[in-house]
Amino acid sequence: MKAKAAMKNDDMLMHVRGTSRFVDDIPAPEGCLHAALYCSPLARARLLELDTAKAAAMPGVLAVFTHKDVPGLNQVGHILKDQPLFAVDELEYIGQPIALVVAETRRAAYRALKKLEARFEELEPVFDPREAAAKGMLHGKRRVLLRGELDEAFSRAAVVAEGRLSSGPQEHFYFETQRALAVPGEHDTLKVYASAQAPGAFHHHIAEVLGIPQHKVELDIRRLGGAFGGKESTAVWVVAPALAAFLLNRPVKLFLERNEDITTTGKRHAYEYDYRLALDADGKILAFDVELFQHAGACADISPAVLGRSLLHASGSYSIPNIRIAAQSCRTNIPPNNAFRGFGVPQGSLIIEAALSHAAELLGVEPTWLKYKNLLQDGDVLPYGVVIEAGTALRCWQTLDQKVDLAARLAAVEEYNREHVDSKRGLAVVPVCFGISFAQTALNQASSLVNIYVDGSVSVSTGAVEMGQGVNTKIQVIAARALGIDVSQVRIDSTNTSRIPNASPTSASTGSDLNGMATKMACERLYERLRGFAARHLGVPDESVISIRDGAIWVGVRRAELSWEQLVKAAQWARVDLSEHAFYATPNLYYDLELERGRPFAYYAYGTSLTEVSLDCVRGTYTIDLLEVVQDIGESFSVPVDRGQIEGAVIQGIGWATLEQIRYGKDGRVLTGVNAYKVPDIKFVPKHFEITLLDQSQNPYAVYNSKAIGEPPFIHGIGAYFAILHALRSVRRDKPLPPLPLTPERVFMYLHEEP
Amino acid sequence: MLSFMVNQRLIQTKEPPGMVLLEFVRDVLRLTGTKEACREGECGACTVLVGRPTEAGSVHYDACASCLVPIGDVEGCHVLTVEGLELDHAASAGRSESAVLKPLTLVQELIVDNSASQCGFCTPGIVLSLTGFALNCDGLSLDDAIDALDGNICRCTGYVAIRNAARALSERLAGLSGELNARLPALVEAGVLPRYLLNIPQQLAEAREQTGQVECVPTGKVVLVAGGTDLFVQKPAALLDAELCFLSHRRDLDFIKEEAGELCIGAAVTLERLRRDPLVAKHFPSFSHDLALHSSTILRNKATLSGNIVNASPIGDATIMLLALDAGLSLQAADGSVRQRKLREFFLAYKKTDLQEGEIITAMHLPLLAQGERFSFQKVSNRVTLDIAAVNTAMRLRVDDRGCLAELAISAGGVGPIPMMIKGLEPLAGRSIDALLVEEVAKIAFDAAKPIDDIRGSAAYKRGLLGQLVRAHFAGYLQAEVER
Repeated sequence: MKAKAAMKNDDMLMHVRGTSRFVDDIPAPEGCLHAALYCSPLARARLLELDTAKAAAMPGVLAVFTHKDVPGLNQVGHILKDQPLFAVDELEYIGQPIALVVAETRRAAYRALKKLEARFEELEPVFDPREAAAKGMLHGKRRVLLRGELDEAFSRAAVVAEGRLSSGPQEHFYFETQRALAVPGEHDTLKVYASAQAPGAFHHHIAEVLGIPQHKVELDIRRLGGAFGGKESTAVWVVAPALAAFLLNRPVKLFLERNEDITTTGKRHAYEYDYRLALDADGKILAFDVELFQHAGACADISPAVLGRSLLHASGSYSIPNIRIAAQSCRTNIPPNNAFRGFGVPQGSLIIEAALSHAAELLGVEPTWLKYKNLLQDGDVLPYGVVIEAGTALRCWQTLDQKVDLAARLAAVEEYNREHVDSKRGLAVVPVCFGISFAQTALNQASSLVNIYVDGSVSVSTGAVEMGQGVNTKIQVIAARALGIDVSQVRIDSTNTSRIPNASPTSASTGSDLNGMATKMACERLYERLRGFAARHLGVPDESVISIRDGAIWVGVRRAELSWEQLVKAAQWARVDLSEHAFYATPNLYYDLELERGRPFAYYAYGTSLTEVSLDCVRGTYTIDLLEVVQDIGESFSVPVDRGQIEGAVIQGIGWATLEQIRYGKDGRVLTGVNAYKVPDIKFVPKHFEITLLDQSQNPYAVYNSKAIGEPPFIHGIGAYFAILHALRSVRRDKPLPPLPLTPERVFMYLHEEP
Repeated sequence: MLSFMVNQRLIQTKEPPGMVLLEFVRDVLRLTGTKEACREGECGACTVLVGRPTEAGSVHYDACASCLVPIGDVEGCHVLTVEGLELDHAASAGRSESAVLKPLTLVQELIVDNSASQCGFCTPGIVLSLTGFALNCDGLSLDDAIDALDGNICRCTGYVAIRNAARALSERLAGLSGELNARLPALVEAGVLPRYLLNIPQQLAEAREQTGQVECVPTGKVVLVAGGTDLFVQKPAALLDAELCFLSHRRDLDFIKEEAGELCIGAAVTLERLRRDPLVAKHFPSFSHDLALHSSTILRNKATLSGNIVNASPIGDATIMLLALDAGLSLQAADGSVRQRKLREFFLAYKKTDLQEGEIITAMHLPLLAQGERFSFQKVSNRVTLDIAAVNTAMRLRVDDRGCLAELAISAGGVGPIPMMIKGLEPLAGRSIDALLVEEVAKIAFDAAKPIDDIRGSAAYKRGLLGQLVRAHFAGYLQAEVER
């Protein structure tokens, strides 16, 4: 297994040549049309009249479609049916689709957009989640998770840290914007190539909107040019071209321009927080009371699910005996926000980290000490009732400490800060405890179709979507390992609803856990079948002595005169089924939403990190100097892939915590287009960035002892916020905690503006 | 009819000169390895190499954002896309992992070796930027390689692996000739580039004989493109059908020379050329660093100083630098007559300049610094690289023999409708340079600033920041004095 862990993502061989195909690289079919969306220019309004005649008469324009043209259900709501594909009369956010222009060229489609004429009655929008909460404008109910005796615990407190905080939205900025190509086929069928993370759900949406059975729609997904959650729930950009292709019986392509994508698609949710944290005189957490206001936007989309994860992670990596977490998904007039790497966990983890930093000041101790003292250990009970077993929070922390000597680091920072006025340094240690599984139990299912061809090559189809995270590489390794052949014999086919129906989205870091396990099961069945056949073929009475490994057939320790290819060929001729479908549902998951108790996660991914920064007090700028990450990834299928996931997640998390800021106009318009929304670049990344993989890690709850990796390391990114905060608090403490992201502007104002 | 080469193909096209190269290679030539991800030069996914014939008969390659390069601009040039990097099988026998695929170039191989590609959408751009680095960077150090990647965003944020690939490349190329003209054959031998590139200069020359020289004749109606990295962000649709002419075709304006106590810079000089020019480095050593803050390599390879000035952005970095240096402009009218104007007199109102119809900037004149004269540029933006400043400012300060202030000029951007000079500093002449003076200057600047709230920051932030950056100017000056 060790050798296999060096396996690289072989898509890279195409990426470097520019030959990997993304949706817009698929050669356009003959007669392909182009679609563009006409969207609401107002955050809240009534649509009084829409005149499409002028646009429809423009050269090259074939049609302008509105809700009236939808043959099926005019709905793409993900959790609730509250999101029309095309607005009927109520407009609830800037960017809400109203009509679709279809033309011979993309340019003609965009030209025609300007000719659409509409009359509106403007209504008063709501942009503040707290205001929405006060008015009862919520998606779903306010959730409250309660454990222990809150009032009694607060009455015993030595210190109580109480305050407010806010965290900002984050734009996905996947490089491949939202897009799809829909091609009509015979018998009213449709094949759709899309950049989408949720094959099952999007497949369903397309059929529902078109009013045709799902078996007439084939959704095919080869790879995504990044997604990060942004292509998981909102199906508009896949369904709209499918509708046009269906109605016009011509291929139709739609893709968003960058600024369209930034201004009209969902983002990571901004949150507002009210918190109260009680410590005893020894620094033990007595109680935590927190209210989360999620800035959800106009439709529910996937927000209630994101909120649920925030709720389940608001205790972070800490043991908190008495806790109340209340959470509301606030309905406001911005584009519906959606999933983004971490799915509410970063927001949930942030608030407990902030409260602890605040409380540490009140108690006069270091946050690092306080965190360590309250770190989760085996036997501790999480707020929703799960007892921690075989947790590695402590071991991750100690591994980091042994590597970097936290006390010495802290002493060095303090000494620097004593000696410098115009520059300061700061550090933060952030532990991570991230529940793995979809919190929505039903989604924890996957299937895999494994075909062995007569030449010995193997094709695997699953519901997993490759988006650069390397899930295909992992499944390739799993299949090869389970079959006893070389990875070069295995190809992962596209994600296709005709091969794999009803697939859950590839998200929640579960892609390889679920689809990998299903693949392992399918391959193991094939392995058993072929082993039985090999025994008969070779005349070996006891099939248990037969094994397949390294592409050869073995009888005990003796290599038989039978290669994998020969075995497969003979088996096919002997009428042995060389295809297998397997289904996996994660066992023992349940959650009771009324009681807010259950076992929502199969296991937890742990890690700890150290972030160090330098602060330029004159200019209000900072640099991230050092990152040391310890992550428990179990047994890796591919160390290069997993390292890439850790590095990427951490830097993306730092982006959220520092640079990435969306600014809205007073009318609710997103002002920060691509020229102002800045994500980390190569020079932003610290020169010192080291990753330590926790050794001797076991995980009986996932395939071959592996552990999920896509999202958990994102949480380390908030270390940048706290490291900068550390430096800022060494300058002044007469202000409340600044909001996240800590942009240079906010740092400057914290330093230089009078409170 | 436009004529240029793309990879190994000679292209003759009737597509409009204002069509951007990205659209041309993807939609017309159907070369889809070049990716579209922003169309504003902000991401680098569409990076290609543009090879322009030099007077010496070779071809000089620069990595450019193809979304902002109109095809009229590459007339007579060689465009290298990722598809054009395929090595011959013979070139490096045994390196290929497949019978079907041709071998990887060294850059591609190192990206794969270091797992420096995740979703892959940014990868072709990174391949081209690193190849451009190998082709035209004097130093070939890791820092140079990172500079070359300063316009290539990877949203999977796999920068550690990308940096490792860049480091490996820098190490593999160490010892390669610093002489750029001699480098191409060595890079072919090293498997960085395909062999056919050696023949490109001759092929371009032959094509040129048939089509004649490319001209640039500005008239009133014609839109003059001085790099175009801002123009093609602002109004690409309008420019598609416009009549264009390109300063990049004006070899006579591509000069940097020292003349009568001034550094004269031709209007066609790109910011990257300026940044690396030895004469500039001699007289204005900080420019190399200061201009790097302007944008990214793939934009600086096209953007010009003259374009930055004419664009008249109230926050243009190069403009702010030149203002404090009290630069002058040569302005040439359509009839050929030339007038001189000081840059500080050039900006009339927001985005409005003194440039007359049919007139172009032909050269900029930077007075050389006198004995005891110092220059400092300060900029703060959200992200350090490739971001527009919240506030930028430059200072020129001259001290007399006694160490007292003889002359002080401070420019500031982002704090008013035009790039402005801070007024009211003249009475400070004769003062000694101490904390009192610094505070007084900072206050004058603070009071002169009239910023607005916008996406670059609040008015209060920008005002406060200007005051702080003025202090930073002096802190830098005093630090340098101590070190002297």
